[in-house]
Amino acid sequence: MKTYWVAYQIALQETLQRRSTLIMDRLGGFAIVVSLYSFWTALIGDKATFLGYTRGEMLTYVLALNVLRSFVFTGRGWQLVGEISSGKISSYLIRPLHYYGYALALDMAQKTVHVAAAVLEVGVLAALVGGELFLPRDPATWLLFGAAVALSSLIFFFLEFMISSLAFWTSESGGPLFCFELFLQFAAGAFFPLDVLPAGLRRLLEMTPFPYMVYFPVRVFLEKVPAAEALRLIGMEALWLAAVFTAAMTVWRRGVRSYAAEGG
Amino acid sequence: MSGLLRKYWRIWLRTASMAMQAQLTYRLGSFGFLLGKMIRLLFFFAFMAAVFNHVETVAGYNLVETALFFMTFNLVDMTAQILFRGVYGARRTVTEGDFDFYLVQPCSPLFRMTCSSVDFLDIITIIPVIIMTGVVFARLPPLGWQNYAAYALLMLNGVGLIYAIHILVAALAVRTQELESAIWIYRDVMFMGKFPVDVYAPAVRWALTVGVPIAVMTTFPAKALLGILSPAWIVYALALTAVALPLSWLFWKDSVARYTSSSS
Repeated sequence: MKTYWVAYQIALQETLQRRSTLIMDRLGGFAIVVSLYSFWTALIGDKATFLGYTRGEMLTYVLALNVLRSFVFTGRGWQLVGEISSGKISSYLIRPLHYYGYALALDMAQKTVHVAAAVLEVGVLAALVGGELFLPRDPATWLLFGAAVALSSLIFFFLEFMISSLAFWTSESGGPLFCFELFLQFAAGAFFPLDVLPAGLRRLLEMTPFPYMVYFPVRVFLEKVPAAEALRLIGMEALWLAAVFTAAMTVWRRGVRSYAAEGG
Repeated sequence: MSGLLRKYWRIWLRTASMAMQAQLTYRLGSFGFLLGKMIRLLFFFAFMAAVFNHVETVAGYNLVETALFFMTFNLVDMTAQILFRGVYGARRTVTEGDFDFYLVQPCSPLFRMTCSSVDFLDIITIIPVIIMTGVVFARLPPLGWQNYAAYALLMLNGVGLIYAIHILVAALAVRTQELESAIWIYRDVMFMGKFPVDVYAPAVRWALTVGVPIAVMTTFPAKALLGILSPAWIVYALALTAVALPLSWLFWKDSVARYTSSSS
């Protein structure tokens, strides 16, 4: 465990060292949040609610997106593809550590910095627009939200890990990974609440793990899901995580067996 | 002059052909990237359509007008991506020493840096965008030829303005061998051009018109087509590009003059 803790600390220092890259990353993300917030504000107009969301709830949804994007959608997929394709993965495979544990430690370091920056941005934007940010009244909601977000982050990590592992068999796994990440952002509700979609399409998406990554945690935070229902959905999330973890590990083990250290 | 143009046309064709061959070699990867781009386009379009099931107008624009803004954004953005794709690898070109070769070749290094890498996936993706724009045009009320002429002129102007930004990014790469995120900030900020600039708060609208003129690139052409852009703004847009292009070119010249080769 100490090995991963050291890896986490080194990665944290590296992320903080590249300040210009970090600031630019955050600026870009901030532009997207401003854009989405403005669009939703224009949609609400003079109405009291839109799709069941009040102005404050919609503002909270958009700002929560900024934090969740930073916590859920930062994986190590592209690095894994690069390391397998270049043969660099060999040096990790012979070390006395589990690669996915090491990757998770590095990912956590990235998340730590980006979530801190995202929370700061949310505070700035909330102060700028002077909107009434929705904060949960029930303390239990914070716990449910935390559990939902932690599970969704792990689901994303292992899903991305599984798709990136295709690089063991083909040097072209970047394409499927790119496709997956774009589809995921829409299907997870990372651009807009899924309530806007027709009921049939929404039900179809609910049969996948994607809505559990953003849409469902934000609805928990907004207290739009009763506690009992939230617990049931968190149980579903845990099941999805178990399925995705098993699949990712199976693909990883088979990939390592077929790995030929190209370019190593 | 025509000889020079012919020479650059031949160079572009040759490098474009090489880029296409490279992409055809990676069929699975290219298919994934292509599918991802299509998903992004279709999801956003579906989102717009779904939103208008719940509202009549957004910032005073109906579905067809909002779709016109969105399609215009895509046309301008994708044209720029097709033509100036080379900038995305500018930092690598410099740090790996390839830029040294560009400098000794009998061809403008700026042209080699910005225009000699063509993404054929964007050429394929732009086809449905053109078709969808045609469908939007067909649903607009009858408009005079002057509107279409102003639309075409401001679209070209927008591409010119984007080129000025790409020159700036390429110059920064030569000057600093860093700032690889600069082009991605541009991509993220361009996200704001997906919606008409009228959805934003006055301060943001001003920033997008004067500071980072995304509105000039994406909103102005569509507004000119709808006949709601005053001649003064058209003159402003043209003047802005007339100033930005030479200024960015001067910055590029200065950056190249300071370049001392960064490769080993």
